[in-house]
Amino acid sequence: MILPLILFILGFTLLPVLQCIFYSFQDRITEEFPTLANYRLIVGNPKFGDALKNTLIVTAIGLTLEMGGGLLIALLLTVSSKIKGLFRTITMIPMGVPTIVSGVIMLYIFSSNGYFNEFLYRIGVIKLPIDWAQGGIRTLLMVAVADMWKVTPLVVILLLSGLESIPANIYEASAMDGASPYQHFFFITLPLIKPFFTIALILRAIDAFRIFELPMVLAGRNTMFLGTYAYSEYFDYNNIHSSGAASTILLILIAIFVFSYVVTVGAKEVDE
Amino acid sequence: MKTAEKTGVVLAEKKVDQKKMRAKVKRVLLFLSIIAIILLILIPIYLLFKISVSASQDILTQHPPFLIKNFTWKHWLKILSAGQIWNPLWKSVIVASMVALLGIIIAAPGAYVISRLPKKIKYGVLLAIFSTRMFPEVGIALPISVTFIKWGLLDTNLGLVLAHLIRVLPLMAWVLTGTFDTIPRDLEQSAVVDGCNKIQALVKVVLPLSLAGLAAGAILSWLESWNEFTYAIYLCLADTTLPIKTYYYISRGNWFESAAYAVFLTFPVMIITFVLQNYLKSDYLSGALKY
Repeated sequence: MILPLILFILGFTLLPVLQCIFYSFQDRITEEFPTLANYRLIVGNPKFGDALKNTLIVTAIGLTLEMGGGLLIALLLTVSSKIKGLFRTITMIPMGVPTIVSGVIMLYIFSSNGYFNEFLYRIGVIKLPIDWAQGGIRTLLMVAVADMWKVTPLVVILLLSGLESIPANIYEASAMDGASPYQHFFFITLPLIKPFFTIALILRAIDAFRIFELPMVLAGRNTMFLGTYAYSEYFDYNNIHSSGAASTILLILIAIFVFSYVVTVGAKEVDE
Repeated sequence: MKTAEKTGVVLAEKKVDQKKMRAKVKRVLLFLSIIAIILLILIPIYLLFKISVSASQDILTQHPPFLIKNFTWKHWLKILSAGQIWNPLWKSVIVASMVALLGIIIAAPGAYVISRLPKKIKYGVLLAIFSTRMFPEVGIALPISVTFIKWGLLDTNLGLVLAHLIRVLPLMAWVLTGTFDTIPRDLEQSAVVDGCNKIQALVKVVLPLSLAGLAAGAILSWLESWNEFTYAIYLCLADTTLPIKTYYYISRGNWFESAAYAVFLTFPVMIITFVLQNYLKSDYLSGALKY
């Protein structure tokens, strides 16, 4: 009964991935295999270097924002208050917004006559509008913030289930022993939610490396990421081999991250 | 003596007062940060809606107002009457429903088998299946679209359904294994003892008990397909889905049409997500996401 599932995954996921790697080592004209010509081609293209750099920077900024923000919101959700139920419902809303729509929204907010500039103007921070999409670190920040808005709820859900799995009597016992709230946080909460933190971080990192829709909408063709670079090589230049090479590099990047993280930090937790 | 006692009492009272003050300040800070987060989440959604119902002089200006000044349904009506929306909408609905249905048909039997495997193998298999979601989609979509050109599946519903299943099946297997885990094996065995054969035990005992989980899995898959962008942009040329149509208006720089399209795209998702919320915290997912 499991056969259809396994066959589908073999045929429609593993096979294409292998094909993609195959394309990347195949010469575009002579179809000779294997060759490094495609890799030489894209590494020599400054656009690719930018795409790689942008992907890494946005992943780093995005993960920091999302894990930090997610932890903060999850902690706020564990504190009992009158509006807790409402708060919880509202924090989950962005999860229900399609990624392309969150891109549209952020486009309006960060366009040069958009609402973020207007907000800054009204509180007197800026006089002239800032062009957030012009490239450089501004655009990367914009993409990271847009990504954060959309995906932090997932981090909140994962971390919250971790926080809720901590039995209350541990806190009671340590309070008896005179632990301060800071000690609570650093010596009880953090170690106990570590496995959940690991899972959330890995899931988020994979998606962050693969970021595609938001750059397509927000950054346009000026600021490329690995995903959009691979897309552009195929659609703009009709080159499946260089597109495959870019995808393969993206795959290797993800694999290196996941494996090194699992090996150094979370081997035991993920095993369970 | 007495004065010393008195000062002691006063000091203690002061301490209590200070503690109360601190607790109060803390509560206010807590409340303010919750409000700030709620605003940060809701304002972007409000702005999307606002743009889709605002007259153009409110939007295409250097200093747009934050409140809705000149309300109009113009953009919505324009989209509905222009008729461009119906084909993508219909395509999105059909593809998403087929993905949900086929997803259940393929993933449910597999997930059942996985959930009955010995514990050690089980998590290995699940992890292996789920880790296929780690592959970059642009890397999978490229050979798929090359193959589909050969097979004549480009720009067809079937092609897109197959592509969406790549995303959906691992997720389904993960969620449904959790569902089947909650149904004790003893139940099936006692059904067999009572004279059912294995198939009957499955259909009459396991299936009814797993219906809620299957429904949750189907809805999640429907949403995944409805929101999906990457495969769709690789595989759709003329006959697009709603997200691709929205993207088309974005890249043409048309604020109002893309806003109205985005609102239409979001409606069903919002409604379903609200309904689904209880599942998101219940056993179906937490059971599947066992650590």
